[in-house]
Amino acid sequence: MTDPAIAVRGLTKIFPVPLHRQSIVAVRDLDLRVEPGEVYGLLGPNGSGKSTTLKIILGLVSPTRGCTEIFGRDSRLVKSREAVGFLPENPYFYKYLSGEETLRFFGRLCGLGGVQLKNRIDELLELVGLTKARKRRLGTYSKGMLQRIGLAQALIHEPKLVVLDEPTAGVDPAGSREIRDLIVDLKRRGITVLLSSHLLAQAQEMCDRVGILADGVLVREGRLQELIAIENQTELVLADASSQLVEEIESLINRSNAKLIERRKSTTTLERLFLDATTERPKS
Amino acid sequence: MSSDTGALARHRAFSFSRVYAITINTLTELTRLKVFYFLLIFALLLIGSSIFMAQLTFQQEFQILKDVSLGAMSIFTSLLAIVATARLIPQDIEDRTVYTILAKPVPRFEYLLGKIAGVLLLLAISTLIMSSVFLAVLYTREQTVLHETVRQMSKAPREQVDDALRAVRSSALNIDLFPGITVIYLKACLLAALTLFVSTFATTSIFTIVVMTFIYFIGHLQATAREYWLQGHSSGWITHGFLAVVALIFPDLQAFNLVDDIVAGAAISLGLFAKTAVLGIFYTTIYTLLAVFVFYGKEL
Ligand SMILES: Nc1ncnc2c1ncn2[C@@H]1O[C@H](COP(=O)(O)OP(=O)(O)OP(=O)(O)O)[C@@H](O)[C@H]1O
Ligand SMILES: [Mg+2]
Repeated sequence: MTDPAIAVRGLTKIFPVPLHRQSIVAVRDLDLRVEPGEVYGLLGPNGSGKSTTLKIILGLVSPTRGCTEIFGRDSRLVKSREAVGFLPENPYFYKYLSGEETLRFFGRLCGLGGVQLKNRIDELLELVGLTKARKRRLGTYSKGMLQRIGLAQALIHEPKLVVLDEPTAGVDPAGSREIRDLIVDLKRRGITVLLSSHLLAQAQEMCDRVGILADGVLVREGRLQELIAIENQTELVLADASSQLVEEIESLINRSNAKLIERRKSTTTLERLFLDATTERPKS
Repeated sequence: MSSDTGALARHRAFSFSRVYAITINTLTELTRLKVFYFLLIFALLLIGSSIFMAQLTFQQEFQILKDVSLGAMSIFTSLLAIVATARLIPQDIEDRTVYTILAKPVPRFEYLLGKIAGVLLLLAISTLIMSSVFLAVLYTREQTVLHETVRQMSKAPREQVDDALRAVRSSALNIDLFPGITVIYLKACLLAALTLFVSTFATTSIFTIVVMTFIYFIGHLQATAREYWLQGHSSGWITHGFLAVVALIFPDLQAFNLVDDIVAGAAISLGLFAKTAVLGIFYTTIYTLLAVFVFYGKEL
């Protein structure tokens, strides 16, 4: 049997609040399994414990109870972080380094060097679209650019598992679409992805499985398709249908024992509209 | 078990190249600080300006030159050690850069080791710069005085001139300066390591700097206080234990003050130098280990 990419068992994290009697329970009795190759979305409102859970999985915060494992290795072992790339939420790097230097620094920390590292840096800068800004200091980067360099940094050592805390936070729709494509691409290459988000529309497009956290408790979990399917409803979307055809379909429905719940004109999404409008001009 | 890790080499418990990457990064960070240049230029000006302190005799002149220069170096390196180290860790935690680093396969002790090594490297570089300027100034003055002496004594017998020149040489550049400078550097290393330790549990870097200033002054007074205290108490093991704890919290910084002896022209015995150097290295190591210990238990 292969180890799960991530296993979380009975995880509880309590933050003591100095000078106060009661403490904050950030995560309560959490059980989680992420299988190799899947994209798992950890969803939940602000303060529900998403970031705390991810930090514990990476061994950055110690659990009060329970344990977490990465590919069968306890998170407390440094060794468990060999095959993981992590993008913290609102990542912030050394301002005085350029994009290229930042990637070189993190590459060295992963034991890379020489030509291999150099090629990898070129490749990643291209991938996240920062080739033009590679020599610029991060102090001059915009939030979205920081998010991209953060993503590149997480991928520097070709990890088998990528943990992303709100990967699209602060990124514009076109950028977040690119990040989404990138995640889909990672999945295609067999890389496991665990991401947190509260942008549900996006999670819906990317994730195979989701877990919903509320106040540190996992309230729902399962395959996305199963969770959101409404078993007794079916949608038809027609193009160039004549009104006559629509009427015929409706009368057909009326004769059966099915019920027509809604009939409307298809609309484009605001996102689509935004993307069409902003991609007409070439982006710098 | 799935244990292949793609492009990665097998993980090693300690990797010099990881520590080196953090060291160089820390050095880069510190040399981009304005305060570093401000302090360095100030110290260099102080050293340079002592040329103009003309004195009655060359002995006095060299004495003042050494006193001012070594004093400036001592204060500059100590100050730099404290100021540079104090914000290193808190800043990383505040900016969350520490998350990105420790999420890589980097053990926490390597992170701290890289940080302290970066500071020690910075201190070494600034000590080298200041020493070069100081020795150049001293050498220039020595040459001038030598020429002057030869000119003034042009009619005196050969032996008398040689004696006079030897007197000039021995009071200017002599070998005792090097152990003196080394000890100044080691004192700064000790302060840097102690600052690192304090900063691992301090909540703000201001707190660290205040505590360190306090320790700096107490550390200079400690030896005197200890002697005074020992006079009135029996020296049982409780006393010694207590003193050991005090000595750990407040290192005896006066022991690193060989400058006075050097300025006075007294030779520094190899034994004293070795003892002081070992003490400095010992303290630096202990404080770094204590910092590592606290950092392992720290909630980031
Ligand atoms: N270091 C800490 N000390 C005390 N409390 C903390 C600490 N870190 C997190 N918390 C608390 O734990 C709870 C969960 O926080 P967490 O950051 O995990 O939420 P989140 O789901 O990531 O929220 P967001 O969507 O805003 O990022 C919050 O109530 C938060 O206040
Ligand atoms: Mg969060």
